[in-house]
Amino acid sequence: MQDQARLAELRQKFGREPAAPTEPRPGERTPREAQPRFRGLESGHRACQGCGEALAARLVMESAGPDVMVANATGCLEVFTTPWPQSAWRVPWIHSLFENSAAVASGMEAAMKAKGKNTKVLAFGGDGGTYDIGFQALSGMLERYHNILYVCYDNEAYMNTGIQRSSSTPHAATTTTSPAGKERMGKRHLKKDLLSIIAAHHIPYAASASVAYPQDLQRKVRYAMGIDGPTFLVVHSPCPLGWRHASALTIEVARKAVECGLFPLVELERGAVTNIMPIRQVRPVTDYLKLQGRFAHLTRDGDPRAQEERDHLQALADYNIQVFGLAGDGDDPADTAGVTTVGRGGPLAGRAS
Amino acid sequence: MTVLTRGAYAAPGTSLNFKTGNWRSTEKPVHIHAKAPCHAACPAGEDQQAWFAKMQEGHAQEAWLNLVTANPLPAVTGRVCPHPCETACNRAAIDGALAIHNVERWLGDEAIARGWEYPVDAPAPDAPAVAVIGAGPGGLSAAYHCLRRGLKAEIFEALPEAGGLLRSGIPRTRLPRETLNAEIERLLALPGITLRLHTRLGRDVSLDELNQSHAAVLLAPGCQESKHWDVQGAVPSDLHEGLALLREFMDHGAFPEARNVVVHGGGNTAVDLCRLMKRAGSEHVTLITASGLPGPGTDPDDIINVVPRELEEALEEGIEILDHATVNRLIMKGSKVTGVEVVSLKKEPGSDGRKRRVSFEGTERVLPADMVIPCIGERVDPEGLNHLLDGNYFWPGTPWGKLEDGVYGIGDARGDRGTVAGAIGDGAKAAEAAATYIAGGQDPQLDTREEMPAAGLNPVYYALSPRAEPPKVPPDARDFGTEIEGDIGRDAAMAEAQRCLSCGNCLACDNCWTLCPDNAVIKTQELASDGSHYLFDLDYCKGCGLCAHECPTGYIQMVPETA
Repeated sequence: MQDQARLAELRQKFGREPAAPTEPRPGERTPREAQPRFRGLESGHRACQGCGEALAARLVMESAGPDVMVANATGCLEVFTTPWPQSAWRVPWIHSLFENSAAVASGMEAAMKAKGKNTKVLAFGGDGGTYDIGFQALSGMLERYHNILYVCYDNEAYMNTGIQRSSSTPHAATTTTSPAGKERMGKRHLKKDLLSIIAAHHIPYAASASVAYPQDLQRKVRYAMGIDGPTFLVVHSPCPLGWRHASALTIEVARKAVECGLFPLVELERGAVTNIMPIRQVRPVTDYLKLQGRFAHLTRDGDPRAQEERDHLQALADYNIQVFGLAGDGDDPADTAGVTTVGRGGPLAGRAS
Repeated sequence: MTVLTRGAYAAPGTSLNFKTGNWRSTEKPVHIHAKAPCHAACPAGEDQQAWFAKMQEGHAQEAWLNLVTANPLPAVTGRVCPHPCETACNRAAIDGALAIHNVERWLGDEAIARGWEYPVDAPAPDAPAVAVIGAGPGGLSAAYHCLRRGLKAEIFEALPEAGGLLRSGIPRTRLPRETLNAEIERLLALPGITLRLHTRLGRDVSLDELNQSHAAVLLAPGCQESKHWDVQGAVPSDLHEGLALLREFMDHGAFPEARNVVVHGGGNTAVDLCRLMKRAGSEHVTLITASGLPGPGTDPDDIINVVPRELEEALEEGIEILDHATVNRLIMKGSKVTGVEVVSLKKEPGSDGRKRRVSFEGTERVLPADMVIPCIGERVDPEGLNHLLDGNYFWPGTPWGKLEDGVYGIGDARGDRGTVAGAIGDGAKAAEAAATYIAGGQDPQLDTREEMPAAGLNPVYYALSPRAEPPKVPPDARDFGTEIEGDIGRDAAMAEAQRCLSCGNCLACDNCWTLCPDNAVIKTQELASDGSHYLFDLDYCKGCGLCAHECPTGYIQMVPETA
């Protein structure tokens, strides 16, 4: 009798049968816990305001998780997410060294295989840990054909240690080790064409993505997650500190990099280009350059060296557009303008019309 | 858990203990529901953005219900309004303003066809009654809004039919009688509205009596009397004044014969008259107006006050328009006109800051004319209202139209009005003010929210799509009975609604939620208190401003931390 009264009271309170102790009760979830997406990378991390890399990692985790493990190279992402004794990660996560995240991930994958588990292993690195320092470990991982998705967050310099040039830094960008001045107009060398090197490993899937196109980025992650074998994703992630632009402009800068052709969004399978994101309206590289302090020396009027470097970067962009066939051919729901279109209730991309 | 001997570990998600919110230095993001420019520009007070949002969700009836909270006559205004909303539309700079009037008209027609019910309840039997003078758009709107505020309304109309200027001054080619009758009948059938026809203020009933018998009086008499017109003292013996001529035509279907007609004025009546006379067989019809034609070089204040599409149609039909000109002299043969002397003029700023008309010597020219029609506006019939008029009109000086305690002036009778939509908006405001007056309160508060400019939007996220074009009767097939502009239909109306940029209001597009690097935007299933589905978790927001920059509609704005 007493039980019946108690039950009635609980029904009154919760509007349904009282939950079992292990069952999550809707009434007790905070709005944060109730978000309709997987929060693999939580708030409270120490990334700078407007960090493109933090955004990219969050987007990757949302579409990869929850059944994943992460090996992380040294770099901004490692430092700002795991200031001991706290961690922003909500999945198993290992950091060892700058150069070995691909090797650590290989070991984790082998361990999962030995245990008969299907947990997917992700390896994360910045451009320093991927293009330069971790490159041979990455090449080995691809060659040994581990079932791993390697994601490179490309912010085009060693930002964590103080904005030193990397082999990913674009031509003519100023960094602390390639300063623009009397002798040089920023970095003398070219950005390494890493994707072609990766593709030469004949792996199932390699792609470039940008934080400015989150739906496209997440589609690429989901596609890679479905492949049993090595896959590689490089994500263009602006760094307001190192690129010297306002923190609110992160997405705009990334979008313009794609729209001018300097950062082509392509997908390669077994070394062959299988998909590109067409650019609906190709814009001049100066639209991209003038937003950033690292290219400020290129936007000075009346300086013949600046003119030459601007034209050089424009030629590099035109080369990408030509080689990958990026120029759009009419309106396409999958081109740079089509994928960003929103309507009431969310993005239009992928929505049944 | 196994204790690791080397290295270190941390429990998942523990960074939540570290509140990065105190990194914000100067600004924080907030949701600000600014007014959409269409809403700010609407004389009737409609929130077009709000009802387009309902259509974007696929709910046409809810859109109509939202629309009629401001304007009970959408089928009428969708046809006759000069739609300042479309002029103000932020989409105009992208790929053409929304076809708001076409969609409004479709909603109004759909409501009539499907019998959607107005969202009003019958007033209580002992509810106070308000007297409304005039059953034109202003009076009808006032009565309807009295009902919405729980009051009864009694309308006094001098003529045998309700409709006012809508019936007497707007040709059927713009507003078919079936539509007008259907919408007015539906409105008058609402419980709580009484209509007294053949009852003229000053003759059958006086203002003092109404003040005694009713809780408040709303005056929407319109303008009935022609203003005096002459040119340097000369008046032709067979002068026909514009609105009178139009009324006569609508009653009898014929104009006096004339080959060369000159119409002097610059409003919708003038343009309507030009087009009807041309169609009735006049060879040359010339409109002489002191204002300018719309164009890139024209000051917005100087543009002729005519529905833009009516002007285009008039030009299509061969009406000649002399802009920035006036009639300088009538050339008379006896007391008949044989021509007019026209001179160019412009409104120039005077030393006192007010515009004055300056005519330019040496620009005089002569046009042959056998009829000159002045269309320079009308004044309020002063009978029974003398003490409230200041010159020709009411000048209440407040949006509520208060003339005396419990007496409010509405619509064209106000010197600062001149559109159907303006009259409808006045009706709503006066009813609101009357309701608070009856309840013993002060004037209500005005909505002082900011307007969202085009610069506040992020146009990257909108797809280009051309404006819907309604079917039109070609110029040579136009007659006196068939409506010229057609219906766009359900599919085009719903598609047009998708073009709405939702200026200043949340589109629920998820951009802020998707693009926050700090996971500090939280999506909620329930509506948040500000009406959106997103919360800012200021415990973690670092104030980077990314969400505000990437918000398509300007709904997210960065404000100083102290605010």
